[in-house]
Amino acid sequence: MSLPTDPKPAPSAGASDDAPLMMSLPVLPIKNTALFPHLLMPLSVGRPASIAAVESALASEGKEILVIAQRDASIESPVQSDLYTYGTKAVVRKMSRGENTIELLVLGVERVMVLKLDQTDPYLVARVRLAPLPEDTGTEVEALTRSVMDLAAKAVDLAQPQAPVDLGQLIAGEQRPIRLVHLLASMFSLDLEKEQTLLEAQTCADALRLLHSYLGHEVQVLELRNKIATEARSEMSKEQREYLLRQQMRAIQQELGERNPEQAEVDLLAERLGKVDMPEEVRKEAGRELARLERLPSAAPDYHVIRTYLEYVIELPWRISTADHLEIAHARQVLDEDHFALKEVKQRILEQLGVLKLNPKAKAPILCFVGPPGTGKTSLGHSIARSMGRKFERFSLGGMHDEAELRGHRRTYIGAMPGRLIQAIRRAAANNPVIMLDEVDKLGRDFRGDPASALLEVLDPEQNNSFRDNYLDLPFDLSKVFFITTANTLDTIPRPLLDRMEVIRLPGYIEEEKIEIARRYLIPRQLTGSGLTAEQFAISPDALQTLIRRYTREAGLRRLERALGKVARKAALRFAEGSTEPITIRVEDLIDYLGPEPFTPEEMRKKLPPGVAPGLAWTESGGEVLYIEASLLPEGKGLTLTGQLGEVMQESVKAAQTYVWAHAATLGVDPSVFAKTGVHIHFPAGAVPKDGPSAGITAAVALASLYTGNPARSDTAMTGEITLTGLVLPIGGVKEKVLAARRAGIRRIVLPRANGKDLRDLPEEIRPEIEFILVDRIEQVLEAAIPAVAEQLSPVAA
Amino acid sequence: MKERSRIVGLIYYASSQAAPATAWRPPMDIYRTKNGWLLKFELAGVELEDIHVYAHERTLTVSGVRRDTVLEPGASYYSMEIPYNRFERAVELPCDLEAAHLEAECRNGILLIRVITE
Repeated sequence: MSLPTDPKPAPSAGASDDAPLMMSLPVLPIKNTALFPHLLMPLSVGRPASIAAVESALASEGKEILVIAQRDASIESPVQSDLYTYGTKAVVRKMSRGENTIELLVLGVERVMVLKLDQTDPYLVARVRLAPLPEDTGTEVEALTRSVMDLAAKAVDLAQPQAPVDLGQLIAGEQRPIRLVHLLASMFSLDLEKEQTLLEAQTCADALRLLHSYLGHEVQVLELRNKIATEARSEMSKEQREYLLRQQMRAIQQELGERNPEQAEVDLLAERLGKVDMPEEVRKEAGRELARLERLPSAAPDYHVIRTYLEYVIELPWRISTADHLEIAHARQVLDEDHFALKEVKQRILEQLGVLKLNPKAKAPILCFVGPPGTGKTSLGHSIARSMGRKFERFSLGGMHDEAELRGHRRTYIGAMPGRLIQAIRRAAANNPVIMLDEVDKLGRDFRGDPASALLEVLDPEQNNSFRDNYLDLPFDLSKVFFITTANTLDTIPRPLLDRMEVIRLPGYIEEEKIEIARRYLIPRQLTGSGLTAEQFAISPDALQTLIRRYTREAGLRRLERALGKVARKAALRFAEGSTEPITIRVEDLIDYLGPEPFTPEEMRKKLPPGVAPGLAWTESGGEVLYIEASLLPEGKGLTLTGQLGEVMQESVKAAQTYVWAHAATLGVDPSVFAKTGVHIHFPAGAVPKDGPSAGITAAVALASLYTGNPARSDTAMTGEITLTGLVLPIGGVKEKVLAARRAGIRRIVLPRANGKDLRDLPEEIRPEIEFILVDRIEQVLEAAIPAVAEQLSPVAA
Repeated sequence: MKERSRIVGLIYYASSQAAPATAWRPPMDIYRTKNGWLLKFELAGVELEDIHVYAHERTLTVSGVRRDTVLEPGASYYSMEIPYNRFERAVELPCDLEAAHLEAECRNGILLIRVITE
C-alpha cells in the first residue's frame, strides 16, 4: 500500500495500470437489447453455453464477462457471425441461482470490439480489444446535447403525463455526452438495432444525432398515441355528459312534481287499455307489451314499435258492434232509392236481413258480385251498408300480390303494419262492418306469396272468427263482418275461393233499364255536377235512346254517364255565356254536343251474301252480334282462320268445317269442291281477340251457306257449340247475347235447347219480342237459318 | 467513478473525468476528530498492495481492486453479493490535504485514514 501525495494525477485505479488493451473474455450473448457501459442490467441466464460462460467468469478473480447482443433473438447457439462486433465488458456484481437459470446483475464497464472467437465449446470465449468511448466535445456536441435533452423531456412528459418524472434530476449530473446518450437510450427502451448503433458510434456527435432522430420518432409516436387516447376519452365523456344531463333532467322533473314523459305515456296507455273492452287473451298480451315498454328507454328503437302496436290494439273494435237496422221495409226503400232494377240482388239482401232479424247470431254471408264494369257493384255495397245501418269499408285487391298486404307484416320488420283487413276494421271502428273487397278476380300472385290463399281463411265463416293478423298476432273475430267481393269475371278466381262465396251476377242493363236509370239518377246527378237546374236542361227520350245506342256500347253505365256529363257541361257553358233559354237536347243536337257517333251500331245487315252468318258473342262489356264471313279460295288449300281467334275457337270452327264436309251429300254439295278450293273464315272485328266454342254452329251455317250458295236469313242470329256428330251443346252468357241481338234488331235467335232455362232470366218485356228457336242438332239450325237448305233437308228432318 | 462529497448536505456529483470504469464503490464513514478527520473504508478481502490512496488539493481518492482469490477448485458460485474487481472512492474535505498529515492503517479489513490538520 502506498500513499502518494504528489500533485500529478496518477492512474486512479490500481488494476488499470497494467490493464492490457487486448484480453480474452467469456461471452454472454444477450437478446433484444444491448448493455451500455456504466449501466447496470439484470439478466436471467438459461442457455447452457451462457451458464458455462457465467460460471467461468465467476471463477475468475475479476468476474469479468463480455456481454454482447446477438443479431437474431431466435438463434439459440450463436456463432461469431450471429453476434455484433461491439459489446461491453461487464463485471458481475451480483448473482444467485434459480432453478434452471442464473440471475445476474451486471455492470457495463467498457466498450470492446470482438477480434475473434478463441473458443466455442463449452462456451464462447472472445478475443477482444478495448474500444474506449468517444470523448469529442465542441459547440456542435453541446447544441446536440441540449436539443436531445429537450426532446427527451418532451418524450417523458408525453409518456407519463400523470406522473411526471423529473428528467433533470435523473440526468442533470451526467456531463459526459456519450453517457447521457446511453442513459437515455436505455430509459426509452429503443430497439436493439438502434441501441447497438448508439453503442457503436465513433463520435459523440454521431451518437447524439442518431439519438435525436430516434427520440423524434418516439415523440411522434407518443403524440399520436396521446391523440388517439384523448379522442377516445372525449367521445366517452360526451356520452357520460348526456347521461348526466338526463339524470339531472329527471331529478328536476321530480322536484317539480312532473312525471317524466315516458312514464306519463306508459301510464296513459295503461289507462286507455283499462277502459277498452277486449278479450282476456288480448288484454294479457297487451299487458305484457306494456310492461316491456315500461322497461325500455324511449330512445330504444323497440320503444316506438311497441307503442304503435299498443295503440293499435287499443283502437281496434274488439267488442264494438254497430246495431243493425233490421226493418225490412226500410231496407227495401233504401235499396230501391239507390238502385234501379237488380231485383235478384236486392232480394238476397232482404233475405239476409230477415235471417238476422230471427237469429242475430247468424253468420254473415260472403257475397260475390260478378258483372261488367259500371254495373253498380261498388255502389250496391254502399247501399247494403246503408240499408243495414252498418259501416262500410272497401279496398281493392286488384294487382295485390303480397300476402302481407292482406295479413300484415310481422312486427320484427321495420315499418311493419297490420294488413288491409285489420286497417279497414280499425277505420270502421266496429267489428261488423260491410267490407267490400273489390276486383277479387284481379288478385296477383308471385314469389312473395299468394293473397288468394290468405283470403281463403278470411272468407271462411268457420275459420274467420279467430283471424290472426301477422302484425297483431292476436285472434280477431271477423265472423260478424259482411264480406262482399266484386269481380268482372269468375274465370280467374281460384276455385276454392269461389266455393266460399255466394255468386250474384249483375249481368248488365238493358236499354229500357238504362233509360230509366239515366232519367232517375244519372241526369239529375250530372245536372247538379254542372250547376244546372231541371228547368234549364232536358233531354228528349229519343235523344237519350240514341245516346245510349250510338254513343255508348257497354253493359254498364259509365260511358253513358260520361256522355251525359259532356252534354250537360256544354249546356252549362251556354248558360254561363249568357243564354237564358232552357235547352232541350234532341236527337239532331247530339252531333253538336258529342261529335259524330263513335259506334256504327251492330245493326242487322239487311241482306246477307252466301257465306255470311250472324253469330252472337259475349264480352265483358255485354253481348255483341258478330257476322262470320266465309269465302272460297279457288286454287287454295285447306282452312284459313283470321280475326284473333283463340285455340278453343279455332278448334270449334274446324269441327264445324269437318261436319259440313262430312255431310256434303246431304247438303247437296259436290265434294270435289273441297279438293279444288280452300276456304277462309274471318271473324270481324279483326282487332278484337276472341275465344270460346259458342260460334261453332254459326261457323257451320256460314260454311253451309257458302258451299250451297244459299244465303242465310239476316234476321236470325245463332249461338251454340257444335260437335262432330252435329249435336248442339249449351253455351253461356245467354242474356247478354239476347240483349245484344235485340239491340241490333234481330228478332229470331237460335239457341241450344239446354239453354232454354236461361230465358227465364230475360226481362219480361223483351221475351215476347223475340222468337227463340231451341235446337238439339245442327240440322235444325241449318233449317232455321238457311231457307233453301230447309227445303232440301225437310225430308231428312221429317 | 469519482465522487466529490461535501460534508454538509452530502450531495454527490457524477465525475466527468476520463478514467477506466470501476465496478464498485466501497462504503465509507467520515469522523470529525479533535485534530482533524478520520476516514474509514470498508475494504474486506482487498490485498494491501492492491489499494492506492491519492490526495490532491482537497480531494482524497481511494482506489484499487478486489480480487476473488478464495476459490476452491471444483467449487462453484451459488450466490454472489460481494462486488469484485476495480473500485474507487473519492472524498473532498474542507482542508488542504497536501498540507495535512495523512496516516493510513488497515485493521480487520477496514482501511483507516487519519487526516491531521493541526
